Amino acid sequence: MKFTPRELAENVNVSPGSPLKELFKLAAALLALLGAVYLILGLAVDWIAPRLSTGFEEKLATAFSSRLRTKAGHEASAQAVQGYLDELQEHCGRLPYRLKAHVDSSRDANALALPGGHIVVTRGLLETVGSENELVFILAHEMGHFAHRDHLRAAGRALVMLMISGLLFGADSGINEVLGQALNITELSFSRRHETSADEFGLKVLVCHYGHAAGAADFFRRIPADRDPVRFGHYFSTHPENERRIAHIQRIVQEQRVEAGPLVPLPDAIRELPTGR
Amino acid sequence: MELAIKLIIFLVLVVTGYFAGSAAEKKHYRSIREREKALLNLPAVTLKTPPYANEEIAESGLVCGSAVISTDYFKFFLASLRKFFGGRLRTYESLLDRARREALLRMKAAAGDADIIVNVRLETAPIGGKENAKGGVMSVEVLAYGTALKLKHR
Repeated sequence: MKFTPRELAENVNVSPGSPLKELFKLAAALLALLGAVYLILGLAVDWIAPRLSTGFEEKLATAFSSRLRTKAGHEASAQAVQGYLDELQEHCGRLPYRLKAHVDSSRDANALALPGGHIVVTRGLLETVGSENELVFILAHEMGHFAHRDHLRAAGRALVMLMISGLLFGADSGINEVLGQALNITELSFSRRHETSADEFGLKVLVCHYGHAAGAADFFRRIPADRDPVRFGHYFSTHPENERRIAHIQRIVQEQRVEAGPLVPLPDAIRELPTGR
Repeated sequence: MELAIKLIIFLVLVVTGYFAGSAAEKKHYRSIREREKALLNLPAVTLKTPPYANEEIAESGLVCGSAVISTDYFKFFLASLRKFFGGRLRTYESLLDRARREALLRMKAAAGDADIIVNVRLETAPIGGKENAKGGVMSVEVLAYGTALKLKHR
């Protein structure tokens, strides 16, 4: 056997090509794919949401609704809020839901409509509202979200995207986290249209309940006056167009020639919240 | 805000990885090619039995060379995109190629003035354990070993 030393002419083990070009190509393809999935999902969710029965939705919601237990000490105010909800549903805003009220001890002023007919109101909100009318409008606004099934559309799309990315990249990968936060931001800005229609629903219910629309825009006016971002942080960032919404409400009130009327003070049960913590 | 910070960190990692990584790779390949040329006359073959009679062999011994190479964040990110679509992982191809050739060169260097290295084998192992499995930046160790033979003068 004869040995002939020979240099390697070219390296067969490394594929040719520039890594940068490859990066751009793959990244562009991935973004296009995700964009397409997002759009199609949006259409699918918008189509499915109104067709989901409330019974089925309540069943889905039991997954997290157990975590919505009202903390000890807030039962009185939760009951009072529930009372308002029951009354509004009875006479003015009949919805195919069994609405349940929960009080959260967070100091941010916020109200949430969650799947299954759960309305969460924070202690910060109950401490901030100036009149019963204001609180009723906020509750009616949340009822409006339920009437239009808004919560399903927003949550549904974000949830499916997160599920898909979780399957592909692994549940606790960095990409998943980044996607989760990006979705939060897009879903917040997307719901502007929903907020406005919820405003209109809320106004209708308010007028039905009191006969006038005083107190409707009070909460939005309150936010610019008290600029503490910590207190109003969440509500503020979800509803960035408070001026526009105030104007919209006032326009409807004028068009329908709704009269002004007295503001009803809040009952003691709401005011008497436990101090501390 | 948190998202912006994460994004900035990510971009810094990728850009640093790209520039530092490709510089390191180019330098390494240059060194590999030089040494391969220098050690060209020492054959390292995978024959199991040496093509010499026992009487011709003066000395024999085990020689091994190992190299641990780590990749950079840019390669890792590119690979994770690749894993999504499928296809050749070009970035890891160069990583393993460098590690293999480096290990073989070190084995040859360890052989000193041997005439031939027979029964050359290569073993590859991932380094980093849990980090590797979960998708951290990948390191690999390649071990090349064989039997170096010194023949009685020819």
